[in-house]
Amino acid sequence: MRPNRHVVRSISPQLWEEFFRGSRLACARLITKVENDLELIPEIRDRLIPQRKGAVRVGITGPPGVGKSTVAAGLARRAVKDGHSVGIIAVDPTSPFTGGAFLGDRVRMQSLMGDDRVFIRSLASRDGHGGLSPATPHVAEVLDAFGMDRIFIETVGVGQAELDVVTCADLILLVLQPGTGDVIQTLKAGITEAADLFLVNKADLPGTESLLEALGFLFEISAHRHVHTRPPILTASAVKDEGLDGVYSETERLIERLIQSGQYQDKKRQQMEREIRESLQQMLWDRFAAMTNAPEEIRILCERLIKNGQSPYPFIQAMDSNVRMELVNQRAGNENDG
Amino acid sequence: MKTTDKKNWEDNYQKFELRDADFTSISGRPLRPLYTGDDLSDFDADARLGFPGEFPYTRGVHPSMYRGRLWTMRQFAGMGTPEQTNLRYKFLLEKGQTGLSVAFDNPTLYGRDSDYALSVGEVGKTGVAVDTLADMERLFDGIPLDEVSTSMTINAPASWIFAMFLANAERRNIPLHKLRGTLQNDILKEYIAQKEWIFPPQPHIRLITDLMAFCADRVPQWNTISISGYHIREAGSTAAQELAFTLADGFTYVEHALRAGLDIDDFAPRLSFFFNAHLDFFEEIAKLRAARRIWARHMKDKYKAKNPRSWLCRFHVQTAGCSLTAQQPEINIVRTALEGLAGVLGGCQSLHTNSMDEALALPSEKAVEIALRTQQIIAYESGAANVIDPLGGSFYVETLTNEMEEEAERYFQKIEALGGVVPAIEQGFFQREITRAAYEYQMALSRKRKILVGVNEFANENQKLDIPILEIDEEVERDQIRRLNRVKQDRDQDAVRSRLQALERAAAATENLIPYLLDCARVYATLGEISEALIKIFGEYREQAFY
Amino acid sequence: MIDPNRKGEEVAGPKIKVIIAKPGLDGHDRGAKVVARALVEAGMEVVYLGLQQTPESIVNAAVEEDADVIGLSILSGAHMTHFRRVRELMETSGLGDRLLTGGGIIPTRDQEKLKAIGIGKVFGPGDDLREIVEYIQQWHRSRSG
Repeated sequence: MRPNRHVVRSISPQLWEEFFRGSRLACARLITKVENDLELIPEIRDRLIPQRKGAVRVGITGPPGVGKSTVAAGLARRAVKDGHSVGIIAVDPTSPFTGGAFLGDRVRMQSLMGDDRVFIRSLASRDGHGGLSPATPHVAEVLDAFGMDRIFIETVGVGQAELDVVTCADLILLVLQPGTGDVIQTLKAGITEAADLFLVNKADLPGTESLLEALGFLFEISAHRHVHTRPPILTASAVKDEGLDGVYSETERLIERLIQSGQYQDKKRQQMEREIRESLQQMLWDRFAAMTNAPEEIRILCERLIKNGQSPYPFIQAMDSNVRMELVNQRAGNENDG
Repeated sequence: MKTTDKKNWEDNYQKFELRDADFTSISGRPLRPLYTGDDLSDFDADARLGFPGEFPYTRGVHPSMYRGRLWTMRQFAGMGTPEQTNLRYKFLLEKGQTGLSVAFDNPTLYGRDSDYALSVGEVGKTGVAVDTLADMERLFDGIPLDEVSTSMTINAPASWIFAMFLANAERRNIPLHKLRGTLQNDILKEYIAQKEWIFPPQPHIRLITDLMAFCADRVPQWNTISISGYHIREAGSTAAQELAFTLADGFTYVEHALRAGLDIDDFAPRLSFFFNAHLDFFEEIAKLRAARRIWARHMKDKYKAKNPRSWLCRFHVQTAGCSLTAQQPEINIVRTALEGLAGVLGGCQSLHTNSMDEALALPSEKAVEIALRTQQIIAYESGAANVIDPLGGSFYVETLTNEMEEEAERYFQKIEALGGVVPAIEQGFFQREITRAAYEYQMALSRKRKILVGVNEFANENQKLDIPILEIDEEVERDQIRRLNRVKQDRDQDAVRSRLQALERAAAATENLIPYLLDCARVYATLGEISEALIKIFGEYREQAFY
Repeated sequence: MIDPNRKGEEVAGPKIKVIIAKPGLDGHDRGAKVVARALVEAGMEVVYLGLQQTPESIVNAAVEEDADVIGLSILSGAHMTHFRRVRELMETSGLGDRLLTGGGIIPTRDQEKLKAIGIGKVFGPGDDLREIVEYIQQWHRSRSG
């Protein structure tokens, strides 16, 4: 079964030109292409990677309602004042039923409007299963190439979001708020280990002390406590703009350390490895599915297997053999041609 | 009533095909086809119904209600310049209106001057522009403030607008203790529904308790707060939500005032309420009766107020603006009449009936006159004012009143579980409830499960607007800004500067800010300058977008 | 994580992106919120800017979000000022081909004037939500078709 022929789409040279000339609309349009058209990703990545300025991506995550947007806006403002150009990617969940999304994070970022050194983009998680939009890392690349050197990625804090952002960002800021007692229980396993900085926002509310204690205790019992130093734990009241100077300088300090220690390069390498691995996996699956009409076949097969109480492994192993044979045939065919 | 009789009717009822309609209230409440004594079988009428003017006030706040004195016919008005508004007031007083109500323009409502960046295109559009004491002077020129009661519909900058009002009275040698009226001044419902705030909740609440304390002493006849449900309803809530959220706000103010050290019987008698009168006739009447009973119970039993006047839920009613249609606007006169009647049968202390063209723009003189006449027909022709609480004892209305009370109590529990009204606001509880109710109603209209005559049913093809619509001249804005500049030139700049600084110092401390606001008003500090000074200390508020 | 079913166009495919904003000083956002919800339910991505927006902040957001549609909600009477200004800014920012629509309390006379300067249909209280959704979808179809 041969894959269907289709029209190969491409980005117009005019759009590239406008983008590299610094047109904000061109940047926005390129982001839209990245969101909508997976086929364009290779072309976009090819063009943009050489233009990469080395932006640092700071992920801001945490449960809903803790004030992530306000924190992001506060940090962005300070970054701009410090001479950086800032991109903010605000991700909100797509409704699995309607496909639509309510993107309301910009509301909290009014103070940044109109500043040319800031670019804010809202993304819907699309088929990112409630976590990050799969386009997020590519959008970060676009902003990086556009000239933003600090990119804040703000996630919605439900679904897989916290874990997705760990792979996409270079530094993770986990925002919590006091008062809801067992908030730590509700955090996804792994996020507390992955966070580089903890921020207790709305610290003027009661319950701050006990939350700080709970966090301290977490590290005492953490398996990593001998391997990693305890991450900084800060407090702030973002809405009053209190405490964010400290958060910003701490973030910058961590970024500095990240770069000096070579960890930043490591992360970039890991992100690229991941991109290759995941793209290959997806590509191989797509080819396989097209070749064998797998999804449909598998569905029919499973009905039978369940009904008869049989194992799926004979099928799996048969498929494996098929693919191996197909590859062997192709290689043989090539040799014959060659 | 014999059980067999009812069963008999039920059997007969089942035999007939019903109309294809949802037999629910406009709020979505399922309704029985018939209400009987069975629905009130364990209703303790003595305890829960009582008599008018007696706890729990279900039947009315006063022993003689409208037999003694009719409700105040108070039509909300304000447009363009203070002069135009002044003329409209004199017109209305002449036509028989008994109280004045001031509507302000958007910039004023947000505490901003007419020349503020965001004020462009807004000056004088939805009410009168007031930038300084000079505008107050023009607004009330020739109006006997010690004889008429004045209601000012303003919230975020209410205290400094009121300061200008007081400064004006001083200039005219009218003693403050003679002034009668109401300030809306209800900031909690702003966060919930109307969205006219400046600072975060705490500083606003402080200004409210400051005003309560000041007026208890210096302006004792003034109602310092009109705890409002009208806007909550306009934002799309159900009747039960309007009832529950408004009273919850009321309890919150009481708690804050108590925490500020005020004696409950000193300020509670001056608290008043403001409800909506929407289309569903009986639901509205029940809602208003339930409001009185709930407030009385809580004030007496929970907050231990001793003075019976503290237990009274006195309220102003406005007919529902959101029920009016732009299509076939004349029929809005009918809607308003029914809603007004519901307000009266619900026992309101004052009533505003909307004009028919309110959906389109500020009302024309003709439309305003008809709205006033509507009240006069209710008062003098319909007979509704002849008997106190005429629907008392109705199986339906009493059952509905009970149900609304129960629903409200359930909401109170939910709010308490979230930590109270202010935490619930920050978590978006009210906003989400209201948006959901609004959306469901809109979808019900789309599906024609709910009908809006002239809109989704009985619409006329190619309807055009024949009503004379009052349009505000763009010149109004330019004129207002010219006057503002002149006032700023002529005043004593040093005095303004030093008084604003004194205000900032007092705001950073814990002093009662009203005297400082009065000082600023007297020297013609502008509304915007006062707001800016307070923003420096209190900060500005930005709401999260709740879905 | 491999997605076995990339034909999930419903969730994954391109969406109509709509900005909903209230310019000026007007806090009545019932209409804006309800319309935003209806658009989301119809599968659109709605960037909700909320209250106290300026024409500049609205168009700036539209640029960054590469929005297809800008919807203004204006009940204060200042619609002529705001719609005109936003339209102007859209032209100079390269968004001249996007749809500017909205709603509120806008007299028929003014609706005609707005149409004459390139603004799409505007809606009033009582207009069917589904009509608004269809209008936007129709516009989008005719544009990409």
